Amino acid sequence: MTQRVLDVSALEEETVDSRSLLWWGNLGMMAIEGTIFAMLIATYLYLRMVNLDWPPATVPFPDLVWPSINLGILLLTFIPAIILDRAAVHDNVPLCRLALAALVVAGAAFFIIQFYVLANLGYKWSDHAYGSIVWTSIGYHMLHVLAAAGETALLFIYALVRPIVKKQLLDFRCSAVYWYFVIAMWLPFYFIVFIEPWLTRKGY
Amino acid sequence: MSELTIEQPDFARERAMLEKTWGKNRGLLGWLSETGHKPIGLRYIVTAFVFFGLGGLEAALMRLQLSRPDNHLLNPDLYNQIFTVHGTTMMFLFAVPMMLGMGIYFVPLMVGTRNVPFPKLNAYGYFVYVVGGIFLYVMLFLGAAPDAGWFSYVPLSGPTFDPGKRADTWAQMITFTEFSGLIVAVEIVVCVFKQRAPGMSLNRIPLFVWSMVMVSFMVIFAMPAVMLDSTYLIFDRTFSMHFYNRAEGGDPIFFQHIFWFFGHPEVYIIFIPGLGFMSSIITAFTQRKIFGYTAIVCTLVTTAFMGFSVWVHHMFATGIPQLGSSFFTAASLMITVPTGVQIFCWIATIWTGRLRIATPMLFAFGFFITFIIGGLTGVQLGSVPIDWQVHDTFFVVAHLHYVLIGGAVFPLFGAFHFWFPKWTGRMYSEALGKLSFWLLLIGFNVTFFPMHILGLHGMPRRIYTYGAETGWGPLNALASMGAVLITLSILTMLINFAAHRRRGALAGPNPWNADTLEWSVSSPPPAYNFLHLPTVAGPNAVWDAAPDQPYVTGMRFDKRELLVTKTLDAEPDHKHEIPGHSLAPFLLTLTSTLGLIGSIFYGWWFTVGMIISAVVLVYWFWPNREEVREHLARDRGIVVAEEAR
Repeated sequence: MTQRVLDVSALEEETVDSRSLLWWGNLGMMAIEGTIFAMLIATYLYLRMVNLDWPPATVPFPDLVWPSINLGILLLTFIPAIILDRAAVHDNVPLCRLALAALVVAGAAFFIIQFYVLANLGYKWSDHAYGSIVWTSIGYHMLHVLAAAGETALLFIYALVRPIVKKQLLDFRCSAVYWYFVIAMWLPFYFIVFIEPWLTRKGY
Repeated sequence: MSELTIEQPDFARERAMLEKTWGKNRGLLGWLSETGHKPIGLRYIVTAFVFFGLGGLEAALMRLQLSRPDNHLLNPDLYNQIFTVHGTTMMFLFAVPMMLGMGIYFVPLMVGTRNVPFPKLNAYGYFVYVVGGIFLYVMLFLGAAPDAGWFSYVPLSGPTFDPGKRADTWAQMITFTEFSGLIVAVEIVVCVFKQRAPGMSLNRIPLFVWSMVMVSFMVIFAMPAVMLDSTYLIFDRTFSMHFYNRAEGGDPIFFQHIFWFFGHPEVYIIFIPGLGFMSSIITAFTQRKIFGYTAIVCTLVTTAFMGFSVWVHHMFATGIPQLGSSFFTAASLMITVPTGVQIFCWIATIWTGRLRIATPMLFAFGFFITFIIGGLTGVQLGSVPIDWQVHDTFFVVAHLHYVLIGGAVFPLFGAFHFWFPKWTGRMYSEALGKLSFWLLLIGFNVTFFPMHILGLHGMPRRIYTYGAETGWGPLNALASMGAVLITLSILTMLINFAAHRRRGALAGPNPWNADTLEWSVSSPPPAYNFLHLPTVAGPNAVWDAAPDQPYVTGMRFDKRELLVTKTLDAEPDHKHEIPGHSLAPFLLTLTSTLGLIGSIFYGWWFTVGMIISAVVLVYWFWPNREEVREHLARDRGIVVAEEAR
């Protein structure tokens, strides 16, 4: 007896691009977290709308030096992220290792400086609603940097002690894309926390 | 990839190999490390049903308490806890997990694949859901269950008016269940867009699968809102933040905005799967393809979108500006259009098909009756003047139960009967099935219809008792009697299922001659779902298959391999191996539970939980040597001798 079949034995096993399931899973995660970031911004704008003074009068004008330096660091982080992405596409494992190491260092530097920025805001989360939303937003973003850096560190260690195959190359690319996301998500918060009070301080 | 004609392979041998690759492990550790979508889906369904029973017991207690005036069976505090836990259970621990569990079970079968894309994550989703539910009930038995209503409005649930851990319990339970919901949503979206059987282009996806896709998107964009809302609440309560504290620039109304931005889509997350069940059942019991497939898909998409633009109609009584009210009234009324289109499509299908009335179809008719009544009161509540009159009265209680029980529970029970033969391989008793349907239909209406009238007479929600002089006694007594009928109905259904689970008549693969792919495999389906992955020739996969419809060959039998296909036309693209059983999801559940529950008592526990969770995650992701060896050979052509380990 014979049977018509669709033979897929010649198909590729695993891919290192947007066709893979992990890529889609990564997009799903970013959609969820992106929604939370959007809700944080909505919270900020809502609270701004219902308050006459925003930020409250006791809040000093933000110091721009360290936040801007840190923004620069985060933007520079795009470079190793792009390098990681491209190196993974071209299967250049030594370059991947280098980029992973650079990302860990950059992430750690950003995290530490951000801690310093947070400590020097001049108000606490429990002072007023403004403090609550600013601390929560910065903290939530720092958690993302921590997670991205932690994941990258794990991949870096793995890349040092084990051979790299397609599966890890895909991990590298997803990790790079996640870095793009984490970097981009900081921009609106940098603007509303550090720039907006200088531009359109409500109640002055 | 090419179409060939081959000699029929040795099925028995292939089946044995797949059984070995995909089969389950034995014992408790085997149970804890299970990652198959069907066992996990069934666990969701059974667990959610247990919570449904618990929520039902709470409802019964409330009906007992309200059955006569000046009753003191429950004290006010206990009554508050009972109605809060009832609502919370039904929404977060029964309805959503039940629907998502049905999706996890059936979506991979209906699209013709072997498992969900991220099986370990899926197992984790189930465990966190169970832990969240157990946590709520442990707190109930400790006398510290939440008591501020299922939506836990501030300032009532805030630090000033709700000392202790009650509101924190509610808020953290949300975190657990929403984790689980979000995980299932991503699983379903990726499964449907990347793993469909060859030939199942977007316009051939079964309607139930479409409904689950839309629900999943709604989950992805709605549930983060409530997670954030409940997190703000915990922050206000635990870290003295001021999100909802008017005195320090916060705003209690804001809680309601975010809550209902999630809460209204939540209603659709619960009843859109019901619409999917309806389409499956009606197609099978009229033996014709659904009328207006494209229109129904479009209405599912429209309903999902519009669900996000109506939330303020829950807040008309909070002093919303008139223009805002008008906008949200209009948006709310507009929702009836897509729903109406669907109902007319189903009526057209029934009208022109060969209708066969069995229990699932009866439940579908039950949906029509109750859901349309619920929809009509919904239109009334969407109008501001009426809403102001009946806000916070039993009218609203009646409306929401008509919508949720009519829109979700009737189709769900229909679906239980419809797929019972698939789950067990046996038929249930038609007589008992019909009995349970009539008991439910009558019991439901006797319970909830009087609440409309009570509401119009001014009986408020959430009061633990009322005086005889109000005149509300007789109708309340009637409603309580209806609850007895509902209980009998559910007991009848359970007896029916329990008695026929092993002893019913043999069902065979497709007792209803239904059209979707799960009916093309044995009942119950094997662990690997399909001996050979199917190909699909039309929107009704089973009916449209040619007598010699090709199947897929060239997949490995000794690996857990999935066929990944292209998003639009489902042409085969590449093969992907998924992980097998693992204990990591269970371990991660333990560590994240430590962090989440600990954090409502002392903030630093969150950090502790995160650090040990990170350790577990390393264990989760680190590949074993066997895997590394195989991948090296496959991707790099490097063969490492086995001794070299």
